[in-house]
Amino acid sequence: MRDRLAVALVILAVAFAVIAGLYYEGVLQIAVSDSHAAHHITHAILFAVLAVASLIAANFAREKTV
Amino acid sequence: MTFAQALFMGLLQGATELFPVSSLGHSVIIPSVLHWQFKQSDPTFVPFLVLLHLGTAGALLVLYRQEWIAIIRGFVTAAMRGRITTEPERLAMLLLTGTIPAGILGVFLENRIKSLFASPYVAAGFLIVNGFLLLGFELLRRRAEQRTSPQVKTRAEQEESFAAAERISFRAAALIGACQALAFLPGISRSGVTIGGGLLAGLRHQEAARFSFLLATPVILAAGLVEVPQLFATGVPVGEYVAAAILSGVAAYASARFLLRYFRSGRLDPYGWYCIAAGAASLVLLTFRV
Repeated sequence: MRDRLAVALVILAVAFAVIAGLYYEGVLQIAVSDSHAAHHITHAILFAVLAVASLIAANFAREKTV
Repeated sequence: MTFAQALFMGLLQGATELFPVSSLGHSVIIPSVLHWQFKQSDPTFVPFLVLLHLGTAGALLVLYRQEWIAIIRGFVTAAMRGRITTEPERLAMLLLTGTIPAGILGVFLENRIKSLFASPYVAAGFLIVNGFLLLGFELLRRRAEQRTSPQVKTRAEQEESFAAAERISFRAAALIGACQALAFLPGISRSGVTIGGGLLAGLRHQEAARFSFLLATPVILAAGLVEVPQLFATGVPVGEYVAAAILSGVAAYASARFLLRYFRSGRLDPYGWYCIAAGAASLVLLTFRV
């Protein structure tokens, strides 16, 4: 059960990383103040942080052997 | 903006960012009350605010330099191990938990809310609301004190029956982080709502202030660093703005030292009454154009 949660969190982390990349490249324009900007760095940083946080949560959720 | 005005705004920002009286509210109200003509839509105004925020964040980093080293070490260790074993590790994860909702709400809501309410009248109104919020936090805290330690006489003994920042729950840390979104309303204080949230979560006053300052540091620093490229725009008087930022940092450092000492036994009430009085006085001055 815990390992399933960990896998789900890793998938979430990958999704956040992809969204971060899309915001950085300016492909994603959802909820941005300046839709003409080439890069949405603030949004990209936020989703990159969420990706890292999800990976940390996955590490906390996985079954520990020791 | 003249050099003197820049220095004054730096001092104001640094002092009010950490006091529970809303720096944004003061920076909206005071220029209007003093009839200063500089426009906040001026392209050099954002770089100015960026530098002031970096000054404040720098002061907090200096104040808590030892603690931040332990927090960063604890963060890396706990993240790699997948388990929390020490107090700095727990504090690091609590700060991450509190920063995430603040970051999400900040990125998606901050500019929209600020642009909706960036009027000195609205800011003065929310300053009064902030005052009542602070008084409300203390009212609830006094009831908790009556429940937990009815026999205790001194304030120091009362405070001892409450917890340190590391003992707060993760749910409470997330809620306190989310409460920071209220501070996008000019007049509502970020430190006020986070200290109040800490009190409701059962922290000692001094620990609630410490958690509030630690929680504010990454958000203020990130908000400043993201906008750093704007400093290199043409026409920005970097030298004058850096002087204001240094003043902001000095004021923030002195404010934090004062508040941590004050909250050993002090309460939020005086700041609550100040906000109500300042908000009401500002409304009168703005209405009658004194």
